[in-house]
Amino acid sequence: MAYAFLLPAVLLLAVFTLVPFVQAIVLSFQQWDGVSTTSPFVGLSNYTFVLHDSVFWSSMRNVLIFGVAGFVLGNALSLGMAIAVNRVRRGKAFFRTAFYLPGVFSVVVIGMMFSWLLAPNAGIVNRLLGGVGLSGLQHNWLEDPGTALPAVAAVFLWYHWGFGFILYLAGLQDVPVELYEAADLDGAGGWAKFRYVTWPDLLPVTAIVSLLTLLGALQVFGTVQVLTNGGPGDHTMVPTLRIYQEAFTNQRFGSAAAMSVIFGGALVLLAMLHLWLSRRRR
Amino acid sequence: MMKGLAGRGGLYGLLVLAAVGALFPMVWLLIGSLQTSSELYRGKDLLPAKPQWSNYVTAWTDGDLGTYLPNSMIYTVSAVAGILVVASLAGYALARIEFRGKAAVTFALLAVMIIPAPASFIAQYKLMVMLGLTNSRVGYVLILISAGIPISALIMRGFFANLPKDLEEAAAIDGSSALNTFARVILPLARPGLIAVAVIQGLAVWNEYLLALVLFDDDKLMPVQRGLMNFVSAETPVQNILLAATAISVLPVVVFYVFAQRQVVQGISSGAVK
Repeated sequence: MAYAFLLPAVLLLAVFTLVPFVQAIVLSFQQWDGVSTTSPFVGLSNYTFVLHDSVFWSSMRNVLIFGVAGFVLGNALSLGMAIAVNRVRRGKAFFRTAFYLPGVFSVVVIGMMFSWLLAPNAGIVNRLLGGVGLSGLQHNWLEDPGTALPAVAAVFLWYHWGFGFILYLAGLQDVPVELYEAADLDGAGGWAKFRYVTWPDLLPVTAIVSLLTLLGALQVFGTVQVLTNGGPGDHTMVPTLRIYQEAFTNQRFGSAAAMSVIFGGALVLLAMLHLWLSRRRR
Repeated sequence: MMKGLAGRGGLYGLLVLAAVGALFPMVWLLIGSLQTSSELYRGKDLLPAKPQWSNYVTAWTDGDLGTYLPNSMIYTVSAVAGILVVASLAGYALARIEFRGKAAVTFALLAVMIIPAPASFIAQYKLMVMLGLTNSRVGYVLILISAGIPISALIMRGFFANLPKDLEEAAAIDGSSALNTFARVILPLARPGLIAVAVIQGLAVWNEYLLALVLFDDDKLMPVQRGLMNFVSAETPVQNILLAATAISVLPVVVFYVFAQRQVVQGISSGAVK
């Protein structure tokens, strides 16, 4: 009986998720142009090719910036704002709604929005800088090799911090009030309360939020593709975009699959490591 | 006391600043979408001298939004319906039926969730080519359903597990079949779970981009995110029209979010904590 209830889910997952996962590994040893019905085996040559693809490896380095930004700045911002909203009496619902609004936009909307905000001449960011006499700080944000990566990472942060914020806020509302009352009796100050009540109680939430934001940041694709398409040069190239281009622009699906295996494997390991660490800490 | 007041003022100041930061880009997009091209490129005015509503008409027709938006509606409604059916069946079995291999199935669902999109989208594309399911509404919906199942099944499992234990027995005494009990007795009680799943999966499907990018090159079948990118790269970009098209594409989501923000927030929390 139970199997009948499970059948549709198992069938769909097997065909559309598990088979492709295994196939990605098989394909990484094959050659395929995206159209032909045959894909001959080519041994390890895709992997040696990827090993020498400097763009792929610099994309791995770039995405670490996204990872660190999401993990450190994003987490801090989400937690800080959740604590702030949790402390006010009026307007909680408004702030919560406003802060998560960016999270319901698509990457395409985000891209359109920020290529307009960051446009070199008419963009509001440069106009504001000019307006307050800081025209020396004006940049062609998305096309200047020095600013493109930080600019895209900042947009990414703006887009995603609301997610962690929602989870932290829910977590904060679950911290038992008695714990704070007890801390008050002991004469604990604001920092002590955070350090000895809030932080330990939030730890499971922190573990899940940091894992999800880290993995999300490392998989960034659409935001980058729409804003810069990896440019200028390859200064904002990220692995998922590189994989996409290798397959659909260069028609080398085999080496794209090899990149998938390397990068996807790293992500899976990272997720497992993180889960293991956060379980051990508890 | 003084310190408390100042602290409170500072707190509100910070929150208002962050709210402006979160809302302003959308407002600025709307302002840009109502300006004339020359106003836009001159970049001197803050507000349009006269709101150019005709930009929206141009965006709608030139951007083919009359094709893309209905497509997105179709994909979202069918994928969410599919996810609800399949995931609640699976979640029910995992929560309330004893069977061999239950732990393994639950673990497999979690493991599947760890498989990241970058690891499989190339092979998914190959699979769809082999099955003849590229440029296919059915193919896109099926793959979206499959992507939504693991998390949704786990959320539903949580909601089913919290229902009283003897519901099935009572229904069985009344002569109700298992499927009938599930549909008539259990499912209505798990409504909050169904709503949470529908809301987050609805947003996820509406905003999906990578698979739509890879699977469609036929304009007539594209969902709005993919279609919008087509518009951006195909025409000589006229910024104000692009902004208007973007605004139209985002309107359904914003309206939905404003009305369902409570459910969205609950959906996110139940999805991540499970």
